[in-house]
Amino acid sequence: MRSIKILERILVAIPIMLGVALIVFFFMRLTPGDPVDMMMGNAGNVTQEEIDNIRSELGLDQPLHVQLVDYVKGLLRGDLGTSYKKKEAVSTLIAETIGATVELALAAALFALLVGIPIGVYSAVKQNSWIDRLGMGGAFFGISVPPFWLGIVLILIFSVNLGWFPVKGRLDFDVHIQTITGLYLVDSLITLNWKGFTNALSHLVLPAITLGAAMAAIIARVVRSSMLEALSMDYISLARAKGLSEWRVVIQHALRNALIPTVTVAGLEVGAILGGNMLVETVFGWPGIGRLVVEGIFNRDYPLVQGVVMLYAVIFVLVNLIVDIIYTFVNPRIRM
Amino acid sequence: MKRVLLLLVSCILVFGIMSACTKGNESASNKNDGQTSPTSSASPSAGSGPDPNATVIVAIRGSVLSIDPANHRDRTTESVLRNLYDPLVILAPDGTIIPQIAESWENPSPTEWIFHIRKGIKFHDGSDLTAKDVKFTFDRILNENAMAGETSPRKGLMGPVESVDMLDDYTVRFNLSEPWPIMLRMLPHQQILPKDYIERVGDPAWREKPIGSGPYKFVSAKLDERIVLERFDDYFEGAPKIKNLVFDVIPEASSRIAALQAGEVHRITGVSPDLVPLLEKDPNIVVKTSEGTRVTMIEMNVTKPPFDDVRVRRAMNHAINMDLIVNTILGGYATRTNGPMLDSFFAANKDLKPYEYNPEKAKQLLAEAGYPNGFQVVIDTHATFKDVAEAVASQLRDIGIDASARVWDVGVLRPMLLNGERMMSIDDWGASARDPFGFLDAKLLTKDRGNYSQYSNPRVDELLKAGMSEMDTAKREQLYYEAQQIIYDDAPWVFGYVMQEIEAGVKGLENWGPSPDGMLYMPDVTLTK
Repeated sequence: MRSIKILERILVAIPIMLGVALIVFFFMRLTPGDPVDMMMGNAGNVTQEEIDNIRSELGLDQPLHVQLVDYVKGLLRGDLGTSYKKKEAVSTLIAETIGATVELALAAALFALLVGIPIGVYSAVKQNSWIDRLGMGGAFFGISVPPFWLGIVLILIFSVNLGWFPVKGRLDFDVHIQTITGLYLVDSLITLNWKGFTNALSHLVLPAITLGAAMAAIIARVVRSSMLEALSMDYISLARAKGLSEWRVVIQHALRNALIPTVTVAGLEVGAILGGNMLVETVFGWPGIGRLVVEGIFNRDYPLVQGVVMLYAVIFVLVNLIVDIIYTFVNPRIRM
Repeated sequence: MKRVLLLLVSCILVFGIMSACTKGNESASNKNDGQTSPTSSASPSAGSGPDPNATVIVAIRGSVLSIDPANHRDRTTESVLRNLYDPLVILAPDGTIIPQIAESWENPSPTEWIFHIRKGIKFHDGSDLTAKDVKFTFDRILNENAMAGETSPRKGLMGPVESVDMLDDYTVRFNLSEPWPIMLRMLPHQQILPKDYIERVGDPAWREKPIGSGPYKFVSAKLDERIVLERFDDYFEGAPKIKNLVFDVIPEASSRIAALQAGEVHRITGVSPDLVPLLEKDPNIVVKTSEGTRVTMIEMNVTKPPFDDVRVRRAMNHAINMDLIVNTILGGYATRTNGPMLDSFFAANKDLKPYEYNPEKAKQLLAEAGYPNGFQVVIDTHATFKDVAEAVASQLRDIGIDASARVWDVGVLRPMLLNGERMMSIDDWGASARDPFGFLDAKLLTKDRGNYSQYSNPRVDELLKAGMSEMDTAKREQLYYEAQQIIYDDAPWVFGYVMQEIEAGVKGLENWGPSPDGMLYMPDVTLTK
């Protein structure tokens, strides 16, 4: 039953993707600025003939509907096109950078959960204590602070002044990791490359904290409020009356129920992490998809931006689906 | 079972973070004694000499677009690849053209250039560089579809060059369709490639593992991330004095500075003037500057009132205190141009004196032109010139003009300026050849590709066009002198300034510095601590 529902959801995703494709296609072309101009405009010594050649090579001299049909045809074949400026298949460029982005996003989400849930639980249990106030004050800060600013402040404190973590990149130039999954931490563990693992991890810490800070803050607040609600329920009084230890009451009875809204929020936040990674990857020189697309937007590199946005859309749809599936496990009363 | 797994994972993470921290500490302290210590214990007398095994890391602003020097049109890419490949001739810091792969040249007729290739230059695979490699390199750029089925985007940089002939093993002749006075100044942009190697392995394999004749050999590259090079011991001008040269891509300016301060990189480019005081306070950092080549100017649309009146345009030149802007907003890291060009450019008219800052005179000129109460104007620019634009607006308001600044995305503003839809704009234009060619014609020739002021003067058109093909240096100078005088009097621009190139490096890094053409060529660099 469940698998049929999942299949249904995947089918529904197809028109969504098509809609996204159309929107990106037109929005990119509505954005003022011309890709060929961005490529050659500042180069000097460019002849009109050269410009016309490039335009026809890229298919930009075709009417809009022809370009659209070509683009959709390509999409149906799984071809995302070729980047104007980098002259490489968009799918190759994405494949080269997705490992970095996924690793950073997972690390950020892990940081957010490891920090957000305990703070939320503790703040709820010790409601209105100074710890609660401190935790929620911190959460307020975490939500409000722009990742760009936070990243630079962390760099100044932990890299420039204390020298604990490196400023940029994923690895030092003299450290090598054999690429298997593209996630350096995983790859270095598989190949038992301890030096690679610690080096990759030290590069990952600051960007992950920067990217995960807002999500940690939101998780902490959601966990706190749903814990407060759960703790006021009759079944908690019953558990306490049974003489269960406070620890078991909080963790096994209250938190279990408080996690349902948390899962939803966490799923949505993965989207925010993807959106935020453009800034964080730029600040930390992290060679991921976010930086790729920022460059693409500045250069009006239509195929590149279209390809990456399509990818974001796929990830959003998938994450939502996964959240719904996890739901049915966390709370068996909910059906898909 | 689940708990055991969880415990295991958390242990790995905790240990990992701990050792990552410690590792960071070690490397930070190492970096403070300069990455160079390994030899010091072995040879105590060496003390503080340059380390022959040093690695120098340079932070660059954007990705390298291609490892193939014929397959891009990008300054950052060219500046990095410059260390892998050599051009025929190079631009010296004083602006003259000096030999590199070509040891001498002659110009038997205005459309023929003969170059004599230096003997004994080797590619990284040990083979000799000869005339056939030079011909191959230029054929690959000039001929359609010659680069693995594609046409090189650098063809336009070769102007009227039609073909290259090999006269003997060490002599080539360039055949031009018309005279091209800046031929020598354009050649530094084309880097020579190994014919035999590329033909043997094919373009794709060569791009994976490229060789050239430059001071450094290719080791590895992730173009969006990092390029690693290694000393080439047989470099014809002597082997570099460091082992590795690495380029790291760091797009964000503040992160580049942080990386330099943390000792992670040794040289950064593109430092903005307002950050120089911060860097100069750091005892471990050295800031270096050189005269730049990008000319900044304020262009006025001469086809529309009020700027269709030359008195108004001259009034603008008197009303704006360019010296103040250079000294305060730009921190003194710029040089004011007297007329349209910098004095150090070829054929600059040194008789021109900068317009005097004189608000009273400006008001008087405005009154004469029929604008005693000023007018309304928006100064369009992009983020780079925001502060300058605001200062200009405020100075114009002082003489009664209702001026404001507006910041646009470059790609949006450019087409509007070309169509003459805007009134006043601040922008710059590259003149890396330090020659009026490619600069004055692009900006001021009727309807040319950068003519944002819509300026059109038949005599100037005539002079600039003549300058583009006159081979006699003295005559060519005369043509440009006259053109500059007319432009100065017509004042389609408020004449601006040229920003200096500002770079910063760690103390202990020697034999480096910003070059006028922006190349990051570092054959002699050393690192000491």
